[in-house]
Amino acid sequence: MVLQRVLVATGASILLIGSVVSAHHSFAAEFDANKPIQLRGTVAKVEWINPHTWIHIDVKDADGKVERWMVEGGTPNTLLRRGLTKASLPEGTEILVDGYRAKNGSNRANGRDVTFPDGRKLFMGSSGTGAPRDGRDAAEK
Amino acid sequence: MNKRLFTILATATILAPVCALAQTPRSAPATDGAAATKKYTPARTPWGEPDLQGTFSNRTITPFERPANVSGREFFTPEEVAALEKRAQEQSGDEGRNKGTRGDVERAYNDFWWDRGTKVTTPRTSLVIEPADGRVPELTEEAKKRAADEGKRPAFRGAGANGRGADTWLDRSTFERCITRGMPGAMSPTAYNNNYRITQSPGYVAIQIEMLGGARVIPTDGRPHVNQSIRQWMGNSVARWEGDTLVVDTTNFTDKVLYRGAAENLHLVERFTRVAPGQIDYRVTITDPTTFTKPWTVAIPYVDTGEDMFEYACHEGNYGMEGILSGAREEERAAASGKGK
Repeated sequence: MVLQRVLVATGASILLIGSVVSAHHSFAAEFDANKPIQLRGTVAKVEWINPHTWIHIDVKDADGKVERWMVEGGTPNTLLRRGLTKASLPEGTEILVDGYRAKNGSNRANGRDVTFPDGRKLFMGSSGTGAPRDGRDAAEK
Repeated sequence: MNKRLFTILATATILAPVCALAQTPRSAPATDGAAATKKYTPARTPWGEPDLQGTFSNRTITPFERPANVSGREFFTPEEVAALEKRAQEQSGDEGRNKGTRGDVERAYNDFWWDRGTKVTTPRTSLVIEPADGRVPELTEEAKKRAADEGKRPAFRGAGANGRGADTWLDRSTFERCITRGMPGAMSPTAYNNNYRITQSPGYVAIQIEMLGGARVIPTDGRPHVNQSIRQWMGNSVARWEGDTLVVDTTNFTDKVLYRGAAENLHLVERFTRVAPGQIDYRVTITDPTTFTKPWTVAIPYVDTGEDMFEYACHEGNYGMEGILSGAREEERAAASGKGK
């Protein structure tokens, strides 16, 4: 199927172009690709600020000691436009963060993939949000 | 210069799979700006000018330059458009992640934060419409030499790429520094905040830009450019009406922002034409004989969203800059103690 191949190829080239349009600042300059990190914690507060949102979470280690981490996200403008508000991620919500630790060694990471403990993505699954579907969110099915 | 951006774009093109193309007839769908221009007469303001006012988005999944696999073809077929939009709706950079790579870090965060769009807002195979091959013209020899020299300097002026040195915030791009994307960067789509509000009054057109904030206030009263000694981040714009089209002429750029290797010698001519009730056909012709071997033109649909604009107070919490500079110091310490990578 030549046509099929054309479509796939065209789609791939566009996806590629889309994926290299990066955020407002370089994340690779701020976070370390060699320091992947996984955090499980509860939301302490969210800074709904520009240019990037920061989610503060309390993470308990094996000894029960609690450490505060800051997790970087994107602009709140996109979420606001999709009808999400500050109430969408209330204090005390448990989340999982799969990201990269800051190069400066502080308790900061980027929220490369942030989910609820059951695997659902934050902010996804709300109808009309305009966010791309990826099939991982149970609410999409 | 923003060599990295060049590299990225070039890589994207090279990586685009090249395959045998079924040759399809060239067609100009009704949504295409040029085709629709002849049919639609825009409403007038109370003082008789074509009415361009509204809130628009220029996000699009149409490639900036024509990908190699559709080389020689000006338009996608309706089937290809449908496939591209389906793909964009279903795409996710959250899947198939190449963990532990710079690319994965640079992808930054989940897709729900991004707003690149899921529509082919023009069925053209590239936003670049001139030259006819849909590609940015070659740089002049002078510009190539400048780029090479620039690559040796620690400081970095580019607005579009990710910067290079991190000795001081001055090494970082003007975009990272929350200053400006420059021109025509500020009028070009990016990964989010692709929103613009146009308002008119007798003698002026104002364009409010969501990404990084700010507004262009452009006189339409026939005045000339300001003295050439006055140089500005966004240049100096003056406008006139040609039929239903607002023609904006911009010169007097500073040398502090680069656009694909061009800076103070840039000359831009933008054309805004409302081609349908909900759409402006935006075109910009980019001329700089010291940088590009020929002038080139980009056409981007501005689609009426009817939505609000949001403030993007970039300095509100630019913790990223602190993280970049302190991260670089930490890497230097590690290198000095022999633990560097």
